[in-house]
Amino acid sequence: MILDKENLTGVQPKDLMIHHGPTKLLLDKYHWHSPKIGIVASYTPKSRDVEDHFGLFRGVDQIESCAQAIAGSCNGFLECKKEGLEPLELGEKFFPRFISIGQVIFHNYLVEGDTFINIGFIKFCKFRQIVSDGRIYKVSRGLDLDEYFRHFTEKQLMEYDLSTDFTLVAELFDITGRGIKKERLNQK
Amino acid sequence: MERQEIIDGLVEILRTVRTVNQEKLNFVTEETDFIADLKTPSTEMINIVAKIEQKFNLEFDDDDIDDLGSKVKDTVNLIIKTQEKG
Repeated sequence: MILDKENLTGVQPKDLMIHHGPTKLLLDKYHWHSPKIGIVASYTPKSRDVEDHFGLFRGVDQIESCAQAIAGSCNGFLECKKEGLEPLELGEKFFPRFISIGQVIFHNYLVEGDTFINIGFIKFCKFRQIVSDGRIYKVSRGLDLDEYFRHFTEKQLMEYDLSTDFTLVAELFDITGRGIKKERLNQK
Repeated sequence: MERQEIIDGLVEILRTVRTVNQEKLNFVTEETDFIADLKTPSTEMINIVAKIEQKFNLEFDDDDIDDLGSKVKDTVNLIIKTQEKG
């Protein structure tokens, strides 16, 4: 039940991102979330994610995972609260649409089993459209992310203030998504 | 507020939007289309609408924006309707 949650920490991504089936949902867990500020969500590439692509998790999938974490999840949560609907009901009225993305800079790569975090913040959120910046960091093996982010702050998020357990993989700017009414599906 | 006054206000906003064709802003009428005539990227429209809210001190509903046409007169009508709602 999303409506009685203060944030997404501990919520299963599949229970919010209901439009995305098991092979297309690139989020495993929400570790930190401040509804009007930003989020931290992790994913660990599976074998299917690196299949036919020389063992690497693709850059385009990194972008999708980050967009699902920040634009998709943050906007989805805010819309549920605003509309007073659970994700399933919200999903019958709207669907998430990727609008655009600005600059993306890749610094590193990810392979199967490399847990990474998507960490980012909201820059603009109005009329069901959200614009956000974010980064992807690879996580040192074995780090307990729930524990690590238990006392994380909004200031730390905005400054990407992380320990050396995190290695920068990508920077993403102006990730823009919007909730579109289903009745407008094929109009624009 | 007179319709022409609103249009002048819209042009002022559009002059601050880098992706809009600035030369075409000298000939804006009610029939001017933001996207077809001024070459405004549709992704920019939301930002323009947010600036309109600030300039005219209004608050639009999400549904207003979903259904908003891309001509200047559509925006003028929405501003007037929202002002009348108070």
